[in-house]
Amino acid sequence: MQDTKAPSILVVDDNHDNAEIIRQYLETRGYRITVAHSGDEALALFETVRPALVLLDVMMPGRDGWEVCRIMKQHPTLGRSVRVVMVTALDEWQDKREALQLGADDYVEKPFELPTLAATVQRNLAMQRALAS
Amino acid sequence: MSNSILLTDSDLPSLAPAMQHLEGWEVERLLAGELANAVASRPAVRAVLVATTDPTILRDVVERAHGCGVPVIVACADDTVRRRAVELKAEEWFRCPATPDEIEQRVRAALARVQPAPAQATADRVDRVELEQMLHDSLTGLPTLPVMIERSRNLFKERGELVVLYLNFVRYSKIEEIYGWEKLDAVLETTAAAVREFLDDTALSTSRVMVSFTNDDDFIFFHVPAAGVAAATEGEITEMVARLQRHVGGRIEAQHGEDIAALFDIYVGRAHVYYNPKIRLERLIYRGIREAANASRSIEERERARRVADLRSSLRDRGVYVDYHPIVVTETRQIFGYEALARGVMRSLRSPEVMFDVAAEADLVWELSRLCRARAIEGMDSRLQPGELLFLNVDPHDFSDPAFDEHEVTHPERVVIEITERTAIKDYPKFRERLRIFRERGFRFAVDDAGSGYAGLGSIANLEPDFIKLDISLINAIDTNFIKQNLVETMVKFANDHGAMVIAEGVERAEEFKAVKDLGVHLVQGFFLHRPSHLPPPARVEGKTAAVP
Repeated sequence: MQDTKAPSILVVDDNHDNAEIIRQYLETRGYRITVAHSGDEALALFETVRPALVLLDVMMPGRDGWEVCRIMKQHPTLGRSVRVVMVTALDEWQDKREALQLGADDYVEKPFELPTLAATVQRNLAMQRALAS
Repeated sequence: MSNSILLTDSDLPSLAPAMQHLEGWEVERLLAGELANAVASRPAVRAVLVATTDPTILRDVVERAHGCGVPVIVACADDTVRRRAVELKAEEWFRCPATPDEIEQRVRAALARVQPAPAQATADRVDRVELEQMLHDSLTGLPTLPVMIERSRNLFKERGELVVLYLNFVRYSKIEEIYGWEKLDAVLETTAAAVREFLDDTALSTSRVMVSFTNDDDFIFFHVPAAGVAAATEGEITEMVARLQRHVGGRIEAQHGEDIAALFDIYVGRAHVYYNPKIRLERLIYRGIREAANASRSIEERERARRVADLRSSLRDRGVYVDYHPIVVTETRQIFGYEALARGVMRSLRSPEVMFDVAAEADLVWELSRLCRARAIEGMDSRLQPGELLFLNVDPHDFSDPAFDEHEVTHPERVVIEITERTAIKDYPKFRERLRIFRERGFRFAVDDAGSGYAGLGSIANLEPDFIKLDISLINAIDTNFIKQNLVETMVKFANDHGAMVIAEGVERAEEFKAVKDLGVHLVQGFFLHRPSHLPPPARVEGKTAAVP
């Protein structure tokens, strides 16, 4: 149903300013953006938004990004097609391993430049389309 | 944004001025009896102010409004209405008559109180997603145990008996350990599909068979005999299990190769449960499951004892042969060296993982390692061209084996010792001292399974290897996963900085080969280029077509 429309992205960040900056930047590039400010909110929106890609902050109060990633990837229908990109302040081998274990597809390190983010989003969406077809 | 609507049946004169203070609100008046339906059908309604003295209507309005997350303010004509309002948990109430300020405040307060409701709804949605996960395994599509018990409840009562089969898939955890969880998931998927297929055309289909997946790696069958049919006999079940084992084993071999199929084994335990109205049904079934699980374990024990006996006789007869798996230069696809893979001659010990598992249980690891090493080195002269290297798997424990020394090999400069850290290195200084002696003799070292969680960058730096072998789990589907690409890139950079070479293991598809090539990985090993074999392969091979069977 969304094939003809712009790809849908769910941005999850408990920091409202961050989320807003990302939303505005990506919206000007033609993506449909939905913002969630907590892990629970993101999971609740997941089925209605059916995002092609989720930009997921790792450090959030309550359910953190790892947990949310795991649950999304286990979703019976949407789990396979969604690309999950972790937004992390940590640049450790072990964290990347963890991201892999939980099914994440890519990550962006904080602080990031917006063009870097856009490039990451772009290549993941390209991969998502390639895998879906 | 459209205006929010306050629904009301009240004709209080102070309501209109009160609402003027609230920006963006409209008041809509209805008869008391119409409020409930209007709340439910109109999403623009953000609050209800109800003034009726009819208790039934009041209850109805409050319930419907709360069902939609809309707050209710009750204008109370007397104390009875107030008490009802409190009892019904209306968000706010006030006594009539009231000033515009008072009404405005109550409406604001009611709106503020209802704020948590969407969060509650959110939590419910999350719970639902989680609940669905709990009822059906997302991977295999099989129901989980509580669902199974619910489904069989009536049938079990009716027929009076139920057979529980517990299918213990041993060594699936080993697949995860070696190949990563993605591979195990894929194998489980194949298994579940094969099990379903099998059930569709089994003689038992006249009765009711149900399967459940325990989310570990075991399956549980409930077999309830059809009306007028006796439950399957022991003989029938044994026969069925044997066929199931062949069927699933065949499927796994076809889809995942014989290395993984060699790890596959099912032990089936069974238990008969008879219905007893005095005992809770769940308890009966769980007892049956436990009994069946124990039975499967005792079969496993027996099987293990038999394997230990097999291993002892293999060691006596030198019943180990070696497959050589080529490692090629990524750019030129020329043979760089071979990894020696020891395999048991006996069918039950074909898989090296199984063989070493059995050896570990029977305290025969050193003996088995010695035999495997000797066999691999024996084949070196006849198998390897001059200049080709032999990659030899050595467990850190082997270094404390007094019989393992640096003089075992005549051409140490042609041998690369692969060290895996699956078994923890206990005495690091001593271990490094042993490595130094070997290194001085001319041996080179490779860190095996790098990136598997056993070997991080830290321990790699510690061993100062000449080769870094990337774990299969990092290579599997690397073409679609950017995190894996980044990790491999980091490894290649690290290796280049330290004068080491990176080997990508488990390259099975052209896309994976291209990805590792683009990332600058120096050497490649995997089914995409070659399968392990006893025969010397051609010096240069193009893709899968030339693979040696």
